[in-house]
Amino acid sequence: MFLEQLINGITTGSIYAIVALGYTLVFGVLGIINMAHGEIFMFGAFMGVVITSTLGLPLWLAFVAAAVITAILGYLLERLALRPLRNRPDSHLAPLISTIGVSIFLENLADKLFGSGNHPVQNSLSEASFTIGSVNIYVVQIVIFCISIALMIALSYWLLKTKGGKALRATAENLETASLLGVNTKRVIMVTVVLASVIGGIAGILVGMAFSSVNPQMGLSFGLKGLAIIILGGMGNVKGAMVGGMILGLSETLVVALGYSGYRDAIAFIMIIVILLLRPQGLFGTKTA
Amino acid sequence: MVLKINNISKQFGGITALSNVSFSITEGEILGLIGPNGAGKTTMFNMITSVLAPTSGDISFYDEQISGLKSHQITTKGICRTFQNIRLFPEMTVIENVMTGSHCRTKSGVWKSVFRTKSQKQEEKEIYDKAKQLLETVNLLKERETLGKNLAYGQQRRLEIARALASEPKLLLLDEPAAGMNEQETVELHRLITKIRDMGITILLIEHDMPLVMKTCDRIVVLNFGKKIAEGEPKAIQSNPEVIKAYLGTEGDDDIA
Amino acid sequence: MLGELINPYYLQVASFILINIILGLSIYVTLASGQLSLGSAGFMAVGAYTTALLTTNFEVPLLVGILAGVMLAGIFGIIVGIPSLRLRGVFLAIATLGFGEIVRVFIVNTESLTKGAIGISGIPQLGREILDKLEVIGFDPEILGLKANQFTFLIVFILLLIIVIVLVCFFSRQKNSRVGRAFSAINMDEQAAASMGINVTYYKVLSFTQGAMLAGLAGALYAHVLSYISPADFTYHKAVEILTFSVFGGSEVVGGAIFGATFLTLLPETLRAISEYRYMIYGILLVVMMAYRPQGVIDEQMMRWFKRRKGRRQQHGTENK
Repeated sequence: MFLEQLINGITTGSIYAIVALGYTLVFGVLGIINMAHGEIFMFGAFMGVVITSTLGLPLWLAFVAAAVITAILGYLLERLALRPLRNRPDSHLAPLISTIGVSIFLENLADKLFGSGNHPVQNSLSEASFTIGSVNIYVVQIVIFCISIALMIALSYWLLKTKGGKALRATAENLETASLLGVNTKRVIMVTVVLASVIGGIAGILVGMAFSSVNPQMGLSFGLKGLAIIILGGMGNVKGAMVGGMILGLSETLVVALGYSGYRDAIAFIMIIVILLLRPQGLFGTKTA
Repeated sequence: MVLKINNISKQFGGITALSNVSFSITEGEILGLIGPNGAGKTTMFNMITSVLAPTSGDISFYDEQISGLKSHQITTKGICRTFQNIRLFPEMTVIENVMTGSHCRTKSGVWKSVFRTKSQKQEEKEIYDKAKQLLETVNLLKERETLGKNLAYGQQRRLEIARALASEPKLLLLDEPAAGMNEQETVELHRLITKIRDMGITILLIEHDMPLVMKTCDRIVVLNFGKKIAEGEPKAIQSNPEVIKAYLGTEGDDDIA
Repeated sequence: MLGELINPYYLQVASFILINIILGLSIYVTLASGQLSLGSAGFMAVGAYTTALLTTNFEVPLLVGILAGVMLAGIFGIIVGIPSLRLRGVFLAIATLGFGEIVRVFIVNTESLTKGAIGISGIPQLGREILDKLEVIGFDPEILGLKANQFTFLIVFILLLIIVIVLVCFFSRQKNSRVGRAFSAINMDEQAAASMGINVTYYKVLSFTQGAMLAGLAGALYAHVLSYISPADFTYHKAVEILTFSVFGGSEVVGGAIFGATFLTLLPETLRAISEYRYMIYGILLVVMMAYRPQGVIDEQMMRWFKRRKGRRQQHGTENK
């Protein structure tokens, strides 16, 4: 029983971590919080429903479709809601408000396109499970965990070892210096937003698989969880996102196991507030002056 | 003794910005604080005004400890400053900027403001008149309805001084007031600074324009790499070998005159 | 004659506009000191539930219930506001968003007290209560040629109008005073404000708490106008809607909230077809405003221009005399 809960927590946590990655990437490079990330993620999740349940196509196609759709959304987000605001010194709140606008637009667009309420997600893997000793493990859980870890490793490798990743880190360090050094910062920013969106889209499919249902409002609740995680793990920090995701996933599972399932969604918010107040730089961040 | 800096040190991480600096300012004096870039002058200002806390040492103002107070409390005690990279309230008009400077000398809170009580109206009128007077002093009266951000550079510097004066300081800290000014403006600035001193205000001046410093200051403290290397009258400072070495050692445009 | 002119539906819409103006003001006053709160829906819920529970369960007079709602929202404002001072910009916004969601989740989960997701119905209606009081002293709406329900809608509208006028005067006067200057100084440059002797902490908490109390007031009034509330009225959507009132109308000036709330409440009412897409329109509006006119439709410059014109006309007037 305990082990099953632990596995549940880890599975959920690793999805949360991927949602958080999207925030971390964009925050790291642009220094803004993309409030529309949750909704882009939700669109990815709906691709899972449309491809597998509605059209009856194989699961891998859902991943492709989600990646394509969220890449387009990320591109539009950058072009229409972020780029016009850059180079304007006046307000640090402008990008926040602008992306809030995108979030509310996308949520209601999804409501119109896909219909409100819960949409079931079915695929060949949903029911498959096996038992080790007394512990029942779903194949889906293993798949989710493996994909999450693979994504993390790939992203870390890309950031640390490739030219594109280095350009991204340089831009994150200092946009002006990077552009003086010949980095095409405009492109780096675009790549960042699109990449973050695609990662969000993949997370969306995984959530559909894990929770067997998606709805247009999930962007907000998962988005807030992602935010809670990067606030916990420290902004712009891949490792922090992973650990933060696990902590949130496990504590939620714990709360549900203790019988307070109604408060499950409140954990993230309470975490946000407590961390922001006690340790604004996050668990792994360093204090800056 | 207006201000007494006692053995102040400041470290940022592993870097020492100031080490064991001591000096003091007497009533009615204009004290120059000079040194090559990065010598720790602005850091000193930030510690006097409690923007930064010193790593060790203390600061007293009229024999009263002020280290540890909040920035706004320091201003209320009677120390006000200007900033190296001008920090006006850009969307306020010129006169509003100066009236905001009177904040700590006025009292009207929410209720008095909303009910426009007699004392509140009286107070508003007083600070309005005082602001006009100060704008006249810095020669900006005509521009009083202009937005702060629309002023020319030299005018912004003068407005910042007027705003600081509105807080009725006993000690005024000027951080490179001549930066970006042309020759004519600098001459006027010199007149303005001496006029402020004649109003009975003690002045601590950071400045790179050496002719201005030599002409304006009664005494000069020289910092280099966070240490005080000289202190004395302008004449003595000009011929101090340590000082000359410090300035020649940097390939600056800060040639000592 | 009056009876034919008064249409309860129009009065209802007008009352919602007035409540929305109060909500717009709650964003305005917090933003005045440079703080963005996404918790307005949460503070609104605190105000609404406080008075709803007090008046329906304990038969507390409406006025007391509403004031209690405002005070409690204010207390929550201080509790959230003080620690949030350590947070800048975006983090404050997220913390307040978290607060709003906690309030909502709490309401949904404390069914024994708040009836959870079902909501509270049968909350005493403001107009009805006033009419009852007046009838005791022998007043009959027929005197004015009105039916009882016409009168209740009318009296609610008038009452809300008075409240809004008082609040608009309050905040316009506050803006042009020492307090208002302190707010905008902090908004423009916190460090410079502190070096001018402004107690940044005090004024930030003051402005945040004023915003919370306004939202609490709007929530309490909302409860007594509609007589039914549920957690669905106080979601993230609501917070974004309130934000849009202020951002679209103009967040620098009191007039901005008035214009934004009026325009955006009327729009879906007049164009029914739009109603279904209103949140999508809000979203687009936020993006477009940030790109082209971040200060909102009505800004300080516009107000200055009006003032100058008015001043000139007055001058002309006296000259002609």
